[in-house]
Amino acid sequence: MSYYDVDSILTDAEKIPCTFQFDIPDLGYLENNPGQTLKTGARVGLPLWLAEMLAIANTGGIGPDDQGKSFVAFDLPPALGNDVMQALKADPRAIPIRDQSAHFYSLATHMMDLSDEPELGTVLRKTFVTRAGEIALHARKAGGGGSSKGGASEEGSNLGVGGAGEEFLRGLDEWERKLFRKAHDGARAGKEWMEGVKKF
Amino acid sequence: MAHPLPPGLTQAEVAFVAEMELVTIIPRQRLESIDLLSGKTPVLRPPHRAELPLWLALLLKKQRRANIVPPPWLHPASLTEIILRETKENPEAFSPPPPPPSRAHPREPGRARRLAESDADISPPFQPSCTAAAPAGYLPYHWLEVAEALLAHAGDDMPVPAGEVRSLLRDLVEVRAAKMRSSTSQLEGFGGGLMSLRGVGAMELAESRGFVLGVVDGVRKIGASAEATRREEEEAGGGRHDDDESDDDMGI
Repeated sequence: MSYYDVDSILTDAEKIPCTFQFDIPDLGYLENNPGQTLKTGARVGLPLWLAEMLAIANTGGIGPDDQGKSFVAFDLPPALGNDVMQALKADPRAIPIRDQSAHFYSLATHMMDLSDEPELGTVLRKTFVTRAGEIALHARKAGGGGSSKGGASEEGSNLGVGGAGEEFLRGLDEWERKLFRKAHDGARAGKEWMEGVKKF
Repeated sequence: MAHPLPPGLTQAEVAFVAEMELVTIIPRQRLESIDLLSGKTPVLRPPHRAELPLWLALLLKKQRRANIVPPPWLHPASLTEIILRETKENPEAFSPPPPPPSRAHPREPGRARRLAESDADISPPFQPSCTAAAPAGYLPYHWLEVAEALLAHAGDDMPVPAGEVRSLLRDLVEVRAAKMRSSTSQLEGFGGGLMSLRGVGAMELAESRGFVLGVVDGVRKIGASAEATRREEEEAGGGRHDDDESDDDMGI
């Protein structure tokens, strides 16, 4: 991930649910209580970069029983929550993951770096690969103007019904959009070449 | 950081390279040998067949100075056989590339020997795989490019109407494109790999390179943290293991 990678910067801005483990004076405005103390156990959504810092930073032990405690403890964001994971396990193609987060995979990989989630990795891998096949199928057919009448290979896909295909494409996150673009560029260049052969 | 072109050859470049493939022609006029960078072309004498690079053959064809003999694998029977192999007999893999050129053994009947001694002489770009002597039933590396060029410019030299060959070719392209798409599905579980890409043509590679690399890269990123954990564990538990091995070595 490059320093100037816009997607990486935007991923850092995703909100993560955090639980404060200390009373923090004068931070009450985060909970709409200006001027008050933020109580231990308060749940606030913090951007990923801040949550990471606060979760890793060592407080150095303010009280005697606080040794090794960090400022906040974070949970998985709702986009990676149990509901979504169960739904992805059932059918990876049925969920518009862009509605969960526009940077779904990059958020997920970041969270996996921070905390150990072996099951998350397995589910995501299956999801990504399954959806990639579907993406390639759409990429080959999209923008072709219906010029290529299909062979037997397309049967059973939800292409041609229009609405379903479009809906799927709208649900792609940034990684998948890039993938779609790559696949589509390849297919389009191939088509252009094939049409250009006669003019040579 | 940002390269203007993706890695690998583009379709236009692949098509250009494919024009170096040798094809067999039947000349209609005499033509002396031409001294080209790639070597001298054979002298053309009308009834005798000769092998020329595709670009020169197409040029002569357009000037009506020659007819091109389509390679045997482009015959409808051969294409049908390949499609059958791709769809029914072995739907999991691409059909294999042509075998290296060989000839019957002079003393031992029933045995064949390879013509070329070293592997360097028989790899795809240097193997005359689009001439009339090429084996039927096998797709060479530049099959799609050569077939399209021949159909577009030498359609009247085909043994059957060009439309028939073209529709078979379209079927084949679709079947193989579907395979290319599903080739990444085996990455689903840990330890899975890509489908073998043996026998895939240059043009198909150029088309799918971006997609396949994208999927592999995505899977790598998703598995990166799990991989790092595994490595750490291996290193933590592997120190002793390494010692064992070196001890074994010492024992030997």
